[in-house]
Amino acid sequence: MKDREGGIRYVAPALIVLTLVTVYPVLYVFYLSLYRKLLIFNISKFISLDNYLFLIRDERFWNAFRNTVYFTGLSVALELLLGLGIAVLLNRSFRLKGASRAIVLIPWAIPTVVSARMWELMFNTDYGVVNYLLDVSINWLGSPSWAIHAAIFVDVWKTTPFVVILLTAGFQVIPRELYHAARIDGAGPWQVFRSVTLPLLLPVILVVLLFRTLDAFRVFDAVYVLTGGGPANSTETMSIYAYKVLFQTLQFGYGSALSLVVFFCTGCISIFYIRLMTGRRT
Amino acid sequence: MIKRAGFYALLAVVMLYCAGPLAWQLITSIKPSGEIAVLPPLVSTNPTAAHYLSVFHDYSFARYILNSLIVAGSTTILSLLVGSICSFGLAKLRVPFASLVLAFILSVSMFPPIATVSPLYIIIRTLGLRDTLAALVMTHTVFSLPLTVWVLTNFFRTVPDDIYHAARIDGCRPFQVYWKIMLPLSLPAVYTTAILVFIFSWNEFLFALTFTSSSARTVPVAIALFPGIHEMPWGEIAAASVIVTLPIILLVLFFQRKIVEGLTSGAVKG
Amino acid sequence: MPYLALLAVSVLIVMPNCLPEKGDSASRVRIVFKHGKISGDPEDFRLLLRHFERRNPGISVRDETLPASTDEQHQFYVTNLEGGRADFDVFSMDVIWVPEFSRAGWLMDVSDILPQEERLDFFPGPIRAISFDNRIFAIPWYIDAGLMFYRKDMLAKYGYSPPEKWADLVVISRAVMSRAPGLYGFIWQGKQYEGLVCNALEFIWSNNGDIIDGDRLVINSRENIYALRFMRDLIYRYRVSPSLVTTATEEPCRHIFGKGKAVFMRNWPYAWNLFNAAGSPVKGKVGVTVLPSFKIGGSCSTLGGWQLGINRNTKHPGEARKLIKFLTSPESQKALSLAAGYYPVRKSLYRDRDLLTKQPFLPGLFRVFMKARPRPVTPYYMMISQVLQPEFSAAITGIRSPEAALTSAQKQIEHILEADHER
Repeated sequence: MKDREGGIRYVAPALIVLTLVTVYPVLYVFYLSLYRKLLIFNISKFISLDNYLFLIRDERFWNAFRNTVYFTGLSVALELLLGLGIAVLLNRSFRLKGASRAIVLIPWAIPTVVSARMWELMFNTDYGVVNYLLDVSINWLGSPSWAIHAAIFVDVWKTTPFVVILLTAGFQVIPRELYHAARIDGAGPWQVFRSVTLPLLLPVILVVLLFRTLDAFRVFDAVYVLTGGGPANSTETMSIYAYKVLFQTLQFGYGSALSLVVFFCTGCISIFYIRLMTGRRT
Repeated sequence: MIKRAGFYALLAVVMLYCAGPLAWQLITSIKPSGEIAVLPPLVSTNPTAAHYLSVFHDYSFARYILNSLIVAGSTTILSLLVGSICSFGLAKLRVPFASLVLAFILSVSMFPPIATVSPLYIIIRTLGLRDTLAALVMTHTVFSLPLTVWVLTNFFRTVPDDIYHAARIDGCRPFQVYWKIMLPLSLPAVYTTAILVFIFSWNEFLFALTFTSSSARTVPVAIALFPGIHEMPWGEIAAASVIVTLPIILLVLFFQRKIVEGLTSGAVKG
Repeated sequence: MPYLALLAVSVLIVMPNCLPEKGDSASRVRIVFKHGKISGDPEDFRLLLRHFERRNPGISVRDETLPASTDEQHQFYVTNLEGGRADFDVFSMDVIWVPEFSRAGWLMDVSDILPQEERLDFFPGPIRAISFDNRIFAIPWYIDAGLMFYRKDMLAKYGYSPPEKWADLVVISRAVMSRAPGLYGFIWQGKQYEGLVCNALEFIWSNNGDIIDGDRLVINSRENIYALRFMRDLIYRYRVSPSLVTTATEEPCRHIFGKGKAVFMRNWPYAWNLFNAAGSPVKGKVGVTVLPSFKIGGSCSTLGGWQLGINRNTKHPGEARKLIKFLTSPESQKALSLAAGYYPVRKSLYRDRDLLTKQPFLPGLFRVFMKARPRPVTPYYMMISQVLQPEFSAAITGIRSPEAALTSAQKQIEHILEADHER
């Protein structure tokens, strides 16, 4: 018997608030991007798509785009591999399992900004622990080739726990009988992993990939604090470039155009993954 | 035997990897300033509490912590209120295009914050809410709604419909069912959501950076903008980091089971 | 019940904004003075402020320090002044922000605090930088300009005199480095930040290049390309500068030179006091001179220094004016100079007996300050600098050729200036 009262009144507050604070600003951002708007000088002139035309030829934008794609690709791949490894490791009963899981959560719980500062000290060329332990003298945060990898490392360190947790939950769902069956058939551990675990883990992996790709693509906090986008803009991601244009030079028109492009990209990524996930179900 | 040792060795490496940096911050925070910039002594032989005192005395950190507590606490309460009401409606009542509504709410979590920051900045400025905690609470609540609605809707759906119908037959109005029955039943899920929302708001950086300056500054912004001449006061930064992270770590250690449940709810079917 | 929760939340949110400030007393006017970190003992500066309070019994001054990075301070002021905040009255500005803040209408006109005759006592560079529309919107507080520090003991030991041309600096550096291995030749600030623009402009100007000439954009010139390439060659071709200069700011350079590990250093004058403090390894061994140039006589220094301005939204304009007048008076300038090593912006103080005793090279500095050039004085300078910083950084680290970097910078700056042409 499905006798249900109307629930619109219950859903309305959330919907209204969400629309006001997210949908409306996005429309406003689009509107702003059609203007040359310098807030502090009270300059506001409609220039239609000129901002976008400049954007296409803007070398610094493409640099940010390349950095973002590189950062995302490497980050997500490493997180997945590392997370999978740790999840496999923790996927058995042993004493201290609860404590281990709690410790694994630590990087996730630390505020991103704090972890960036932590690693900034550890990556210091002269008195950082990393150089000390590795017995090298690499200028991690100051060399254009190393800086982005340092940033990727910090991001991976911080978000691997999330991957571990989701994958661990995914493991629980796999019925034990399948493992037994595979082993009876004479499969070695690697084959079991490849033919039993991985395929059944795929839905969870896709969810993880969706969240992590989106988060990596939108990355701001860690990189902003760790390197500020330098050196020579080698770690400047799209979000950081947009933020600098908006709030350091206060060009609200062009900055809005950049933000919209970020939004468009994340939209595409979401649609891609969701298609992938729903496509598999049919 | 070897496999066992190997396992524990690997486990130790992983634990070091996860907890090591925080431990290093702890060690740094009690090192006298002169010893921080020199490396062979890893651990100091005369630890000092000077940095902790300095953080509160010279950097008015207490105020930032208070701000963060108020923002995170208010966000949690508001988000739970609005979110749970919405979830109740979606799970138990008739809502047109319910799955579309849910999809819309979830899609908000995919918005890049940078895309909304400039118009929100203008709006907040026009409303005169710059550098107020209200501006942060507003934005944090809204951006945490997808999380709240997602977790609570999933949970409410697991509560059998019969309970709802039985209560209605007994004469309860829908809102009373929600308030007197649903919520108490869902306390575990509510706790989980509360923790996740609190952590999200406590750690949020971009909006806090943009909308606040001095009186409403929250902890992440304070740590990012730590004043120092050209050199960084690493001792104070380490002390501040420890102060800021400790409550979260304690939360996590005590509630790790709940947190895990919350994060994985709905992600894994089964 | 939920309404109770909502009520509690609202109270909590509004509360902090209503909390009274500590030490508010009804009879005294309290003005807030915001500034970056002042070097030297903060107590000395507070003494100066207490002195002001004693002279003006109705006023109490609360000074607040901001994050020291110039960019962060700028961002703070922009977002706050733009929002019309009045929680600070007087604040100190980097010389490069004044045109921007003036044009944005955030500063109070203070032309009356500095009448025409008194302006003549100030160095020409700062006066140029603070004038906008024939009015003055900030008062220079102290001056700064790029200097060449060198180890006079080493140069004397190997028989060299301070270089007047960049080529000579390379020669001397290599000679000394070969005979005293483990030393760096020449260190300067090459990290991607405002300091890099200061350093780069010194090379560029000394080669007769420039960024903006009148209202023409002349950044993409042969002279500039040459200057940028030379900066890169210092590191990778002549090897007189270590690669760490590409991430160095003022303090790391000062530390390295202060430990005796470099022969030449470009930095601001503040370092002098630290080098001659008790216990400094280089005490008595440091000389200062003007920066070298590519052609004789072309030496240039980038003008730095801070100016005091009044927030347009202040509720206490009268008191704020008094504070500014006090802090920029000859007595305060002298006190600050003795305590914090900041150099007075009033020319007359360079003949003051006490100052000359403490800093005997003041006449030399006078020469440098008279020739200090401001960075492009335009309201768009901050935006232009945001373009220059990464391009210069890319050129000196070799990511991009100087030609490509300058071409790219030109395109971006043209885009920025288009806004102005349409007015």
